[in-house]
Amino acid sequence: MLKNRVKELRARYGFTQSDLGKQVDVTRQTIAFIEKGEFSPSITLSLKLAKALQTNVNDLFWLEEDDDHEK
Amino acid sequence: MKNDFRKQYPLWMMGFIVVLGMFLFGVSSPTTHIVNTETEQSILVELGPIGVVFAIGSVILYCLMMIVFYAQLKRHNKKNPAEKISIFPIRPPEYLEQDEGMTHITRKASQKVYTFMSWSLPLLAVFAMFSPFSRIYTVFVILLIALIQYVIYYVEIRTHFKEEDE
Repeated sequence: MLKNRVKELRARYGFTQSDLGKQVDVTRQTIAFIEKGEFSPSITLSLKLAKALQTNVNDLFWLEEDDDHEK
Repeated sequence: MKNDFRKQYPLWMMGFIVVLGMFLFGVSSPTTHIVNTETEQSILVELGPIGVVFAIGSVILYCLMMIVFYAQLKRHNKKNPAEKISIFPIRPPEYLEQDEGMTHITRKASQKVYTFMSWSLPLLAVFAMFSPFSRIYTVFVILLIALIQYVIYYVEIRTHFKEEDE
């Protein structure tokens, strides 16, 4: 399963779901779905999210069985 | 999203189907007198009191619902000029496709409806072919299937939005 740190980083930068959604051109609901793990974003959206949250895709998303991931 | 008319659209369709079912119930059991003699040929159709209530009541209810539905539709189109809904849309307006997340949710809901339709329609065909009941019951079953498909779609979409929080 794909895990992510979107919620954590969004909170760190003080963005609401709507703020982040506007930055990456998606709805607030889609940000909520990604945070809850209900939806795996495309590579394009992942890159946009990583850019908006000032990180890289590898640090933002990882597979659950990836034990080596450093949070 | 709570006030998104496209999300409410399946509820309206469910309502219209129920009212149509009420109308069908009202007109499906009239008393019929057929006179066919050498001097007179006539058919007299009489609705019973309950039939009248259902038939006329459902027509009135349908008209009232259409007025409110049309007002809501116009309000949605005014608020969302980029996502206008036609009064007679070919593509189901309940599809939420603003972005890839919404498309994903819509696809999941549509898949569930398709799964339901893929076995309910053949069953309906068998029912229609071999049913000893009146043809009116087949129409009721068609309406029931139409109703259930909207219920499945609405419940699936609602499930995804229920726990949504900022």
